[in-house]
Amino acid sequence: MKKSFKRYLVSFFIGLVFLIVLYIAIMNNVKNPEVKFLPYYTFRTLLRITVTLVVSVVFGVSFGILVSMSKKASMIITPTFNIMQSIPILGYFPAVIILFISFFPGILGMELASVFLLFTSMVWAIFFGVVGAIKSIPLNIIDAAKAFNIKGFKFITNIIIPAIIPALISGSILAWCDGWFFMIAAESITYAGETHNLPGLGSFLAKSAYANDTNLAILILVLITAIVLFINHFTWHRLMEKVSSTGYMPLFRLGMFDLKNEKKVVRRNFKLHFKFRQKVLSESKYRGYSLKQKIIAVAIVVLIFLVVLYTIYKGMLDLRIIKKSLFVPEAANIPIFTFFTLSRLTIAYMISLGFAIFMGVLAAEHKKFATFFYPIYDIGQAIPILALFPILFVYLSKIFGGTLGLEITGIVMLVMDMIWYMFLNVVAAVKSIPEETREVSKIFGFKGIKRIRHIILPAILPALITGSLLSWGTGWNTIIFSEYMPQQGGDLHVNGLGYLLSIEGYKKGNTIMLVFILFIISTIIILMEKFIWDKLLSKTKKYELEA
Amino acid sequence: MALLEVKDVTKSFINDNKRIYVIDDIDFKVDKDEFLAIVGPSGCGKSTLLRIIGGLERPDMGEVLFHGKPVLAPTQEITMIFQQFGLLPWKTVLENVELPLEIHGIDKKTRRERALRFIKDVELEDFKGAYPYELSGGMKQRVGIARALALQPEILLMDEPFSSLDALTAESLRKEVLDIWADKINVTDTFIMVTHSIDEAVFMADRVIVVSCRPGRIIADVKIDIPRPRYGHQRSKKFYGYVDKIKAMITKKNNNHSSK
Repeated sequence: MKKSFKRYLVSFFIGLVFLIVLYIAIMNNVKNPEVKFLPYYTFRTLLRITVTLVVSVVFGVSFGILVSMSKKASMIITPTFNIMQSIPILGYFPAVIILFISFFPGILGMELASVFLLFTSMVWAIFFGVVGAIKSIPLNIIDAAKAFNIKGFKFITNIIIPAIIPALISGSILAWCDGWFFMIAAESITYAGETHNLPGLGSFLAKSAYANDTNLAILILVLITAIVLFINHFTWHRLMEKVSSTGYMPLFRLGMFDLKNEKKVVRRNFKLHFKFRQKVLSESKYRGYSLKQKIIAVAIVVLIFLVVLYTIYKGMLDLRIIKKSLFVPEAANIPIFTFFTLSRLTIAYMISLGFAIFMGVLAAEHKKFATFFYPIYDIGQAIPILALFPILFVYLSKIFGGTLGLEITGIVMLVMDMIWYMFLNVVAAVKSIPEETREVSKIFGFKGIKRIRHIILPAILPALITGSLLSWGTGWNTIIFSEYMPQQGGDLHVNGLGYLLSIEGYKKGNTIMLVFILFIISTIIILMEKFIWDKLLSKTKKYELEA
Repeated sequence: MALLEVKDVTKSFINDNKRIYVIDDIDFKVDKDEFLAIVGPSGCGKSTLLRIIGGLERPDMGEVLFHGKPVLAPTQEITMIFQQFGLLPWKTVLENVELPLEIHGIDKKTRRERALRFIKDVELEDFKGAYPYELSGGMKQRVGIARALALQPEILLMDEPFSSLDALTAESLRKEVLDIWADKINVTDTFIMVTHSIDEAVFMADRVIVVSCRPGRIIADVKIDIPRPRYGHQRSKKFYGYVDKIKAMITKKNNNHSSK
């Protein structure tokens, strides 16, 4: 047996033993009757995410290949998927639940709804990653394939599948982490005013937090983080390391385990992670769709929503019902609620932006500083931030009282969520400032403010913008989740679109209103992309440094 | 009848609403057993011409006749080696050579035997299980050669086959290719090579077709009358006579072009 493989097995078992000890410790010391189900909950959650990952991979790969092989399919599918991925997932969740439950009453419907929600959060990275990977198959390989008549099915098995494996693994890691992020929302399903918990770690965490058992909630959070870290290190990192070290090293055939330099692995994965994100982003966003394509895409998305509504209202969808659903007293609040929600996002964004720039400059000036953040990235990636929400609220509401506490919790959550993308993008950009550029600034004596203004800021600007785009995207999900807090002694809320969405969607089952709010949010997101981020990004294209 | 006839082939593309002729009315014949080189400045449609001959691209006008029949798609009889090798990174040397044979429906046993024979011919038998990333540039190109020859084509097309290699590797590989060409046991005995190196063309080819740039037209068809093997002649006056003559033609053409 290879030495490196032995080392892998040893660390694997140490990790496993650590996890088991953690389980036993929690199960023996926490006085909650449900705690004995912890292994079962873990199994259910793992199963749920794994099943969804498999579905996402199958879907992402088949549609990715379809889009790459057929121009016609690509004309329609890619822009449609792009719009769909812009819609905050948590927004359409209530509609999905109603839809699935109307077809599959009871637990099966909820389980399916939960898988579907996770699916919509996981599939995009895989799909766009696959499309990007197929596009970047070197021309000489395509030519060789043509010259030797490798086409059709043989082309897929011999050229496409092996070429997308690295992207598939990168995409699966992103999807996997996104899955854990949304799991807390996906396992606690409120329908017609009643909350149903699917057995799992996410719902257990939510339940204990809402029941004010913060200690247990924190323990579960630690457990989740440990599980995610364990799986990341012993499967994903290994796989990624294998496919990335030489570009296309065939999986499994060569000794696939080498833990000799875990730090190096984390560092390299960090870089790959960002390269991959950029690729997914450029594949999904900056494709320059034609007007016709955009219209078709919007029409398809609208059609999907209409079909969903039609099914939910069992064919009773007529103007009278639409009118009745839209002209509810709360509708008058929409403009002001939009303003509140946008303000929250803007405040959180500004804080994140300032912090990210500060950190970026610091990281650029002190190389060691950046290295220090790899472990933070590693662990941070594993923490499902949404899960912090109820825990944080318990503490902050004790200090600030209910509503103000919720307000502050929401913004803190948003900052934690948004800063992540901003900051990581900036660190990645700083890392890729060429040594030559640094030396130029040294030789010509740029120092202090001048150095920051002329060298560092321009270098991190594109990353800041991409980071902004990503952070607003995830921000919308977080805010929908965090404006409303179901509680035993009366629910709490702060005014905003997220609150309205929860009330109309979960409590009243007013799906038409829900779709309308969702439409407003998506419009804001798409307009912001078009008129802010795209504009800024095309302006900064010239700054982009060749890494 | 010539083995291959390129008849009035024209290919253009549109850039900024202007039609640019990459290849304009190119017309030549290649005989069996011939080693033909197509020389011209980089980025002037030589590779496009080769791709048209190989059936990878279709011309706007004109046609390519092989044994008198038009070439419409890549065939087993005309294969190609590439500047960037075009090896599949996820397949071993042996698998890379075997794949085209499999595609052309050759049974498992025969294709294994034949792949091994050609891998041995290019002296890579010790590396048959290696992946492309483990090979040097020269070795990769030899895999490319083995892969193309294993199909036992009548014509081998070479697109700047030595341009991605360092000078010493290129030198020795040129000799290997010449040996393969001269080897009469081999089925493949007609070679067409595109290159921007005049020395290389004069050293290797029986005939050099000189192509101009934008539009790509034939400006000369030079028969190289130096006895083979030519290793001893590379410093000779005659050799440099050909090189200088071709160089002068290309330079003159380019100067005319830029003064217009």
